[in-house]
Amino acid sequence: MTQVAGRDDDVILALANVESSYGPIKAIRGVSLKVRRGEIVTVLGSNGAGKSTILKTISGILDPNRGSVSFKGGNITALDPSLIVRRGLSHVPEGREVFPLLSVRDNLLMGAYTRVDRDAVARDMEMAYTYFPILRERALQDAGLLSGGQQQMLAISRALMAAPELMLLDEPSLGLSPKLTREIFEIVVRINRERGTTMLLVEQNANMALNVADHGYVLETGRIVMDDSCAVLREKEDIKEFYLGKKDSGVRGERRWKKKKTWR
Amino acid sequence: MNGTHDPHRIVRGDEFGWKAETLPYKSIPELFRLRVKQLGDATMMRQKELGIWRAYSWNEVSTIVGEIGAGLVSIGFEPGEVISVLANTCREWVWCDLAVQSIGGVCNGIYPTDAAPQVDYLCSDSRSVYLFVEDDEQLDKYLEIAEALPLVRRVIVFDMEGLASFDDPRVISLDQLRELGRIHLRQQPQLLEERSRARSPSEVAVLVYTSGTTGRPKGAMISQDNICSVLASLSTTLYEGLPRGGERIAFLPLCHIAERMIGEFVPIERGSIVNFVENPETVFENLREVRPSLFFAVPRVWEKVYSQVAIGLSEADKLQQAAYGWAVQVGRAVAECTLEGREPSASLRLRYKLAQWLALNNVKRMIGMDRVEVGLTGAAPISPDLIRWFLALGIPLREGWGMTETCGGGTATPRQGMRPGSIGRPGPGLEMRIAAGTNEIQLRGPNVILGYLNQPEKTAETIDADGWLHTGDVGHVDDDGYFYITDRMKDIIITAGGKNITPSELENDLKFSPYITDAVVIGDKRAYLVVIVMIDQENVEKFAQDRDIPFSNYASLTQAKEVQDLIWSEIERVNRKFARVEQIKKFYLLQNQLTAEDDELTPTMKLKRKLVEKKYAQAIEAMYR
Repeated sequence: MTQVAGRDDDVILALANVESSYGPIKAIRGVSLKVRRGEIVTVLGSNGAGKSTILKTISGILDPNRGSVSFKGGNITALDPSLIVRRGLSHVPEGREVFPLLSVRDNLLMGAYTRVDRDAVARDMEMAYTYFPILRERALQDAGLLSGGQQQMLAISRALMAAPELMLLDEPSLGLSPKLTREIFEIVVRINRERGTTMLLVEQNANMALNVADHGYVLETGRIVMDDSCAVLREKEDIKEFYLGKKDSGVRGERRWKKKKTWR
Repeated sequence: MNGTHDPHRIVRGDEFGWKAETLPYKSIPELFRLRVKQLGDATMMRQKELGIWRAYSWNEVSTIVGEIGAGLVSIGFEPGEVISVLANTCREWVWCDLAVQSIGGVCNGIYPTDAAPQVDYLCSDSRSVYLFVEDDEQLDKYLEIAEALPLVRRVIVFDMEGLASFDDPRVISLDQLRELGRIHLRQQPQLLEERSRARSPSEVAVLVYTSGTTGRPKGAMISQDNICSVLASLSTTLYEGLPRGGERIAFLPLCHIAERMIGEFVPIERGSIVNFVENPETVFENLREVRPSLFFAVPRVWEKVYSQVAIGLSEADKLQQAAYGWAVQVGRAVAECTLEGREPSASLRLRYKLAQWLALNNVKRMIGMDRVEVGLTGAAPISPDLIRWFLALGIPLREGWGMTETCGGGTATPRQGMRPGSIGRPGPGLEMRIAAGTNEIQLRGPNVILGYLNQPEKTAETIDADGWLHTGDVGHVDDDGYFYITDRMKDIIITAGGKNITPSELENDLKFSPYITDAVVIGDKRAYLVVIVMIDQENVEKFAQDRDIPFSNYASLTQAKEVQDLIWSEIERVNRKFARVEQIKKFYLLQNQLTAEDDELTPTMKLKRKLVEKKYAQAIEAMYR
């Protein structure tokens, strides 16, 4: 029991019964989840399952209809996004959203606008360049001229510049080649290991996400249907069939129909 | 009223003025031909194609049935042979059933949720020579076991999507079969009429396998005489006073006798339009689209309708809730009058009109039942409170009792004189009694099946030499000839203290809770009773959400302390109604959301007691520690 309690003390982010909607459309219908310090946690789900909504609700872009979000023990529900960033939580949005007309360097500085210690900012910029050397080469170019993969690297680096304790990553693999996806994920893991940054990762690329994350939640139409360590999730029938595309091909060798989801 | 009559007397349906009709036909194929002649181009059935309802007239279906029948003959079908259908409830199921019966065949249904080994057993036991399958998913079940089924000469697939490049001489499409039939009919246009005379109406025409909680399923042999005897009793019993025609929704498995009768044979007899749901999950949407005039469902579906209204209401504003509360109260008062056979007072009638206008009609529209003239329930016990609630809305929910072995016929509650809790009186032409000693309900009549296929001993055990069917249900009869079921004979619990307990009484009360979908009470030879509960996911989730109880997946929901407390409070509510020795002491919540594919559930979504007891033996033992 003490061990469990000890682990619970380590919870850096907790959502309890969060419901969020866009107008009359409920996107998430009661989500409770926990992220422990130092972990990489992933939320899997298909298009429209509500994954991005969860992240937007955490970072304060979207106010939930009910439920609560707590970060480092403090309630941050519906707090102003800029205040949430100051508490050490950065959001890497879906589709990168870099400032296209600013240079790479200025984009990075935008990420650090909450910080006053110029030396530390400079050190972190150096670190970002170490993780992604290509950004140093392109430091003075407009961000809009970068390739998709480079923009993703920039978006991650920009989030890092706020020196976050928890990073929310929304589909970093979106629109990227498998090779680039792998590279980016490798660095995400490095950041996690080297800097101890906790990561909450939303992905459709379940294979990649399950390989890098420690714990996973599966979201279907706004509800969590599975919650387990990624090692266990990888072996679940439904995950194999619906998320990893690893189905047995059946007696005819070309099974098209899908088994029923049971989430066990 | 009780006690003046012999509790073990024979009660005859005819005592209540119920008379069987004399039918102008002797079999389903004859009936079908008759209706085609009468109704011609009128719509017989509808099914959605790419989201749009497609209608089939009686003439169209007749042509299709002819083609399928002739197609089967052209590939070598002989009268008396058995053909199995493995498909969800859909138009093709009915077409094939009618075709098989029309050419003197025996049609057997297989549950689409059955796995390959069960398909193997059912095809082998029935000696099926052809197998109709719905699609590639069902076909794959056959292909897994094809080697074990040398008797199956051909498999016919309804929907060939995904099978374009599949080539196997044993497999053809329904379209191909119909094409073969068209060719054959050109040479022999009278084929079906000739073939349908090949068999007598007293011979087996339909096989219905009973799920059987213990042992292998048994194939009940049903004759045309059986079916027609049930059809002949309708107009004076369950369908008394109802107009012919109307709309129906079919969604329960057609291999089950209830939907086979009410979703296929009865609509042909009544000339009603049958609408097939898109899939089992869209029943409630389709219900709102079709707005049927008669709705038959198992209690679980009626319970779901009720809990949908309860949920919808909890999200309504205060004024709406108050209006509903008042309206249902008025409705209940009217319902009590109806049940007691009294006329409601003028002022109550006036208030009821207002209640209907204010709230009740909206509720009925919301659930797609604003046109329902009568609701039918059967196949499992239903809570009397639920019947009262529907009656308050203005929907008479009538209970019928029957079983596979009675071809679905049995008792019915009279239109005037419903008694919630009772299964009603025996239908016309039937005799029923409560056996002395065992209190088993026994039935005799023209609807009793021929027996079980390949199982003469089981047949002899079930139907005695005098023709009495031993139903396995225990109950009693009151002085007015109303029968009551207390439980299945083999389910009765005798506690270690020697007390006889009928678990279904407790279970039905538990199931009335919106938070409990199903429950199995256990306690045979034990010191006290315990219960295994399947929660209603939707309602319990909402309960947790409304109270900020964190949960992630289904299992974590069942483990939340507040949810456990909630279920316990529901159990205590039921406990209060029962004697001290009948109290449930502990409970266990199933951790998985069960589906029709799971062994624990019957095709009508009831928990199977024996299986649950075996599968959750550990959890049960833990409750006795």
